[in-house]
Amino acid sequence: MIDVNLIIERFPAFLGGTDGAPILSTSDGLQLTLELLGLSLVFGLLLAVPMALMLVSRNKWVARPVWLYTYVFRGTPLLVQLFIIYYGLSQFDWVRDSWAWEYLREAYVCAILAFTLNTAAYTTEILAGQIRNTHYGEIEAAKAMGMSKWLMMRRIVIPSALRRALPAYSNEVVMMMQSTSIAGLVTLADLTGVARRVFSDTYMPFEPFLTVAGIYLVMTFALVWLFKRAEQRWLAYLAPRKH
Amino acid sequence: MKPLEHDLAVGAAADGNTKLNVIDLHKSYGSHEVLKGVSLTAHAGDVISIIGSSGSGKSTFLRCINMLEQPHSGTIAVTGETLKLITDKRNGALKAEDPKQLARLRTKLAMVFQHFNLWAHMTVLENIIEAPIHVLGVPKDEAIARARKYLDKVGLKNVEDKYPSHMSGGQQQRVAIARALAMEPEVMLFDEPTSALDPELVGEVLRVMQDLAREGRTMVVVTHEMGFAREVSNHVIFLHQGRIEEQGHPKEVLTKPKSERLAQFLSGSLK
Repeated sequence: MIDVNLIIERFPAFLGGTDGAPILSTSDGLQLTLELLGLSLVFGLLLAVPMALMLVSRNKWVARPVWLYTYVFRGTPLLVQLFIIYYGLSQFDWVRDSWAWEYLREAYVCAILAFTLNTAAYTTEILAGQIRNTHYGEIEAAKAMGMSKWLMMRRIVIPSALRRALPAYSNEVVMMMQSTSIAGLVTLADLTGVARRVFSDTYMPFEPFLTVAGIYLVMTFALVWLFKRAEQRWLAYLAPRKH
Repeated sequence: MKPLEHDLAVGAAADGNTKLNVIDLHKSYGSHEVLKGVSLTAHAGDVISIIGSSGSGKSTFLRCINMLEQPHSGTIAVTGETLKLITDKRNGALKAEDPKQLARLRTKLAMVFQHFNLWAHMTVLENIIEAPIHVLGVPKDEAIARARKYLDKVGLKNVEDKYPSHMSGGQQQRVAIARALAMEPEVMLFDEPTSALDPELVGEVLRVMQDLAREGRTMVVVTHEMGFAREVSNHVIFLHQGRIEEQGHPKEVLTKPKSERLAQFLSGSLK
């Protein structure tokens, strides 16, 4: 039997409410999940745009390192990457002695770093694919108008590729949202972390995990809806004509 | 080696009125030489039609003029300024020594493509104001005014916010012509502008081009439209296997062809 009362009683915990304190009084649960997701997506995208441009470069000394990077980060599990960053780096004295240690000792920073590097790898490939798909005639038109290479990239190639990347990128965002659920394994109290805490408090597994599954589902719907709106706006030129 | 006529044409060239001067252009794909020394001089107001069967090198020649294709030798001068060319180590062809000079000269040579090549993610208005704003540095409101003027000139109304994919081929090509006009170029290059259009849409594009010719714009047009070559242009160049086989005034060239190949070509083209 499902203990509905337990679900209702513990629900605020997923929204940052603890022990009678109101919701959002801590960043646990939903807020932390959204922070991890939002920050890693923003940083990941910022990294992915220049890396995608490098990946499509004709110069192999520019393209190869990015190829290797995406190969490694797409070829290994995110959880392993997270563990290497969180547990592995501290082995090295020079890491612990460096200025970065102040940040790298924080599970929060490690999780964002791992998620960022991972999503950047996938996003780089998505973007590079769309850059390669750019209609050659549009590039010729830009050249013929006297655009420099960088102006052409900035004004024609990248905006066009970003738009066409939207459908594939929305999948990446949804996958990334689900992936943040491993943050709990490095002590963070994201949504899944809170669910595990409730489970260990109560020895009731079904209720907290069902709750958290429901929350992820709602978030997925919200993200899909957002991307659909974005596509309506920025991919209107690919839609069938309305008249 | 071939004829003197192109040499003569070049010899007569290059006064202050010369908009475009292309001398002895050669271009190869591997061991296959597609252009074997083609020259062209366009003075202000000239409308030059380049005709020839497919594979004659006419599109390649046009695309070499603004370096969308790399020639292997030859010189190109726009309004008296010679494009500085050096050997490209990657393929042995020529490339611009100074990309900035090439970009500047390209702004004087607006091109209209067979497949329109409008930027699909931009609306009609955005397509037209893009290069004037970001390449020429025209203020936005002025660029918009220009765009509207040229949209009006090509006979398009209420299309500013449409995307190219939502328009007919003829409309798209007219937008592309407006986009080229908005650069206020010295010479307009047309690369088979009606070849990708349904037959009933060809007329609307040709009419626009005829209007431009009447305004005294300098145009170099690669075309299969013999009617256009005959009625609108003042000079016709017939290319055959990478060489100028015959050239001159359309009334002469198209009605009294001297070479057998041109006669053959004209009889095959029906119009």
